[in-house]
Amino acid sequence: MNSERKAAYALVAPAVFIVAVFVLSPIVQAFINSLYRDTPFSPKTFIGLDNYRTLFSDSVATGTIEFTLIFVIVSTALEILIGLGLALVIHEHFKGRGLVRAAVLIPWAIPTVVAGVMWKYMLNDQYGFVNLVFYGSNVANYVAWLASEWSARMAIIGADVWKTSSFAALLILAGLQSIPEDLYEAARIDGANAVKRFFRITLPLLKPAILLALLFRMMDAFRVFALVYVMTQGAPGGSTNVLQYYGYQKMFPEQQFGYGSAVSVLVFVMIAIVATILIRTVRTRIYES
Amino acid sequence: MRRIVLIAGMLIVGMALFGCGGSDTESGVTSVNLVVWKPNIPAAWDSALAMFHEAHPDIKIVREIGPHSSSQFHDLVAQKLRNQDPSVDAFLMDVIWTPEFAAAGWAMPLDERFPPSEQDKFFDGCIQADVWDGKIYGVPLNIDAGILYYRKDLLDQYGFEPPTTWAAMIDQIDSIQAGENDPNLNGFSGQFRQYEGLICDMLEIVQSNGGRLTEPESPETMEAIAFVRNELIGDAAPEGVLTYSEQESLDLFTSGGAVFHRNWPYAWSVSKESPIAGQVGIARLPSFKDDMSTSTLGGWRFGISRYSKNPDAAWTVVEFFTSPQMQRHFAVNAGRAPARKTLYQDSAVLAANPHFEEMYPVFETATPRPRTPVYPEVSNILQRFLHSALSQDDADLEALAAKAATEMETALGRVQ
Amino acid sequence: MRRVVFTIVIVAVVLFSIGPFMWILNTSLKSPQTIAERPPTIIPDLQTEFFAAAVDEHNFMRYVGNSAIVAGLTTLLAVLVGTLAAYPLARLRMPWRRGILSLVLAASMFPQIAIVGGVYRLLLKLGLLNTHPGLVLPYTALTLPLAIWILTSFFKEIPSDLEDSARVDGCGPLATMWRIFVPVAAPAVFTTAILVFIYAWNEFFFALLIMTDPAVQTLPVGIAKFPGEYMVPWGELAAAAVIATIPLVVLVLVLQRRIISGLTAGAVKG
Repeated sequence: MNSERKAAYALVAPAVFIVAVFVLSPIVQAFINSLYRDTPFSPKTFIGLDNYRTLFSDSVATGTIEFTLIFVIVSTALEILIGLGLALVIHEHFKGRGLVRAAVLIPWAIPTVVAGVMWKYMLNDQYGFVNLVFYGSNVANYVAWLASEWSARMAIIGADVWKTSSFAALLILAGLQSIPEDLYEAARIDGANAVKRFFRITLPLLKPAILLALLFRMMDAFRVFALVYVMTQGAPGGSTNVLQYYGYQKMFPEQQFGYGSAVSVLVFVMIAIVATILIRTVRTRIYES
Repeated sequence: MRRIVLIAGMLIVGMALFGCGGSDTESGVTSVNLVVWKPNIPAAWDSALAMFHEAHPDIKIVREIGPHSSSQFHDLVAQKLRNQDPSVDAFLMDVIWTPEFAAAGWAMPLDERFPPSEQDKFFDGCIQADVWDGKIYGVPLNIDAGILYYRKDLLDQYGFEPPTTWAAMIDQIDSIQAGENDPNLNGFSGQFRQYEGLICDMLEIVQSNGGRLTEPESPETMEAIAFVRNELIGDAAPEGVLTYSEQESLDLFTSGGAVFHRNWPYAWSVSKESPIAGQVGIARLPSFKDDMSTSTLGGWRFGISRYSKNPDAAWTVVEFFTSPQMQRHFAVNAGRAPARKTLYQDSAVLAANPHFEEMYPVFETATPRPRTPVYPEVSNILQRFLHSALSQDDADLEALAAKAATEMETALGRVQ
Repeated sequence: MRRVVFTIVIVAVVLFSIGPFMWILNTSLKSPQTIAERPPTIIPDLQTEFFAAAVDEHNFMRYVGNSAIVAGLTTLLAVLVGTLAAYPLARLRMPWRRGILSLVLAASMFPQIAIVGGVYRLLLKLGLLNTHPGLVLPYTALTLPLAIWILTSFFKEIPSDLEDSARVDGCGPLATMWRIFVPVAAPAVFTTAILVFIYAWNEFFFALLIMTDPAVQTLPVGIAKFPGEYMVPWGELAAAAVIATIPLVVLVLVLQRRIISGLTAGAVKG
């Protein structure tokens, strides 16, 4: 081994060690566990892929998968759109821009648990802020947002969009700042209007940043937990249940470690597929430019 | 390669040295790790601990505090016991956990220390809840049961007695609402969010019709659920009760927004300091048929971990905290209803909680929730079933009930 | 006209972002008498009762302190270990480079519930439950992928003639990293630090299971413990939420320029 290689390994070692011990080895355990029936009430038995079979046949599980996908698609789409809008606004030069930028970053800095509690309180049907905004002081019209299927789903998605759009905005803003100003100058001289400039220059050059934001947001969205845990616990019925909360219910309250592990492996596989596709796209984009 | 191992090793050792955990036994002092929730009234617990340490200088209680929500606290304690964490000696158990903790081998049987002669001093329901497979696993600390709160002023004004049937309650609500003509006045508030409380509230209604939660397809059960969906929620009670736990439902009642309210005994002292103070009455919950009024049994008990290294010291702690003196202490200073029967004739307890006298017969007959080691799963199945049935106006009750019955069968099949 | 529209847009953006937070601030300044009023009162009675209760009764400042320790140590460790690893991964010739990088990145794709059981058992064996390091180590492991990723992509962008000149001067790889890369990478290091800090400050799930001793519990766990058996103290919760958020708001306010410039320089080009 030459000295450079030795140094390289020595430098990488602590990181690899920590990640291997605290993340990778528990993950391997989870993979193995997912092949067992593992509850405190009967001996641990190997059952092959039975847990996965249940996962795809049980209607509670499939309903959970369905809402998880809805959540991921709708919330990331909205977060990217709103994030793009926010980024464009805070990229402009205006007085007090620093303050506005800081304001935009606030939701991102609020602990998710706190954000969940806040939104639950604001969606209350008697003293909720949301009802005050929509219906003023007419209490009789106040709506119990978390009591029916679609408004509860919208509430969860809305809270997530509020909380994380600013992170998307941050990444997209960084992308905006790396676009050279002279490109716009040139386009202006060629007589391109603002809309044309946006679609011809800004958007194509932003693609890597947008794809990156998409990657980050999607990976996180698949793992949504705290908002559901705090706001609805899957209610009404099971209509806002998401995979990681479902897995949690199985593993911790219900003590079914094997089945719960299978749920977490499924989440991992979903994330891995999406991430691989997106990372590929990001890479080719970069080579093209 | 050796260097990698070295660095890694140093890192771990360094971090371990940094830590300060572990149980240190000073000379002659045994420490007992007690896992409890965050108390509603911390001062009452602090003074209780001080009293213990004064009486038992040879034992030091190390308190670990978890969240008070029964399900969050369950997950925490179960996680520790499942991993045979030796740092847990004694812990609080909700009334619904005993079968699970006993069947999993987490809780220690206490028969030798807690003989029948001692058990007789507690409410029978509490003791029954602590028994699994012929052995006893917990010592009750307090008891809880659901009751009906009502607005005395409004009922008096309209010449009503507290209703004994649900139909009578609906009739009274209709007359009072018609008379008051106040859009902000609802008839009823209770706990129908999808959580453990939903099971408690629905058990009371279903069993007061002769139904059983574990038999969702029986006509009596279906009838009771249909009543809640069609006549209670969205009509006598606001749609929002589907999102209410105790706090929100009590807020509605104490702010003058409901005529009737289902809650636990604690709500009595809260309502005393609210805008409707002095206008609140309590009664047994209504039923569908005569003499079928049902109250769900609640309350906490202490268990001892099978992995405890100091079970004797742990028992000393449990014995102390469930003693008549301490149950009186918690009744007087924290408003908790004692699990010991004789304290209901105690002048200090009754002076602080006059409503306990009226509650006594309710406690005596309180009904337990289904008893099974897989209770958390059964509860989740029932919560999903009940909440879907109540929140979807067009839901096919029979199909939902059939599905819940199948799911419960599978769950119960998991226990051998 | 354009200016008017733009101003409206700005106002909308600000309201969207801080509106909910302002309502919580408003709630925290109410009194127990007005908090559950229907309809909710818009103008608070400016009581500090809830803040006092959060700080005195719920001992909230202790949680803030613990969070600061845990988040601070995590940041230090993740940035240090991450920088060490990112440099060779970006610049040095080593076999398995790609493999190591993908392995580390894959670690960021797993749901937390799958990891927490194994981590708990490990900490139990090491005697690290209920200690600050018991939380710092898993947090470091969970944030390292992000740190390594940002720093690696940043290091890759640094022109190699800088490196070459150092080599000519006879610097070894370690000295090159320390003298050339770390100073240039300051903005990216800074961004990484902020991201890691915010993660550790906000994490709830691991903290709930690992920290059961109130003396070491962090802020989100402290907040989760506010509700009593049947009571949800909305006012105290709101006050706690305000206290929990303000340090981060100040951080963001002071440092927003650096957060943004660090990201521009590093991550996005990755």
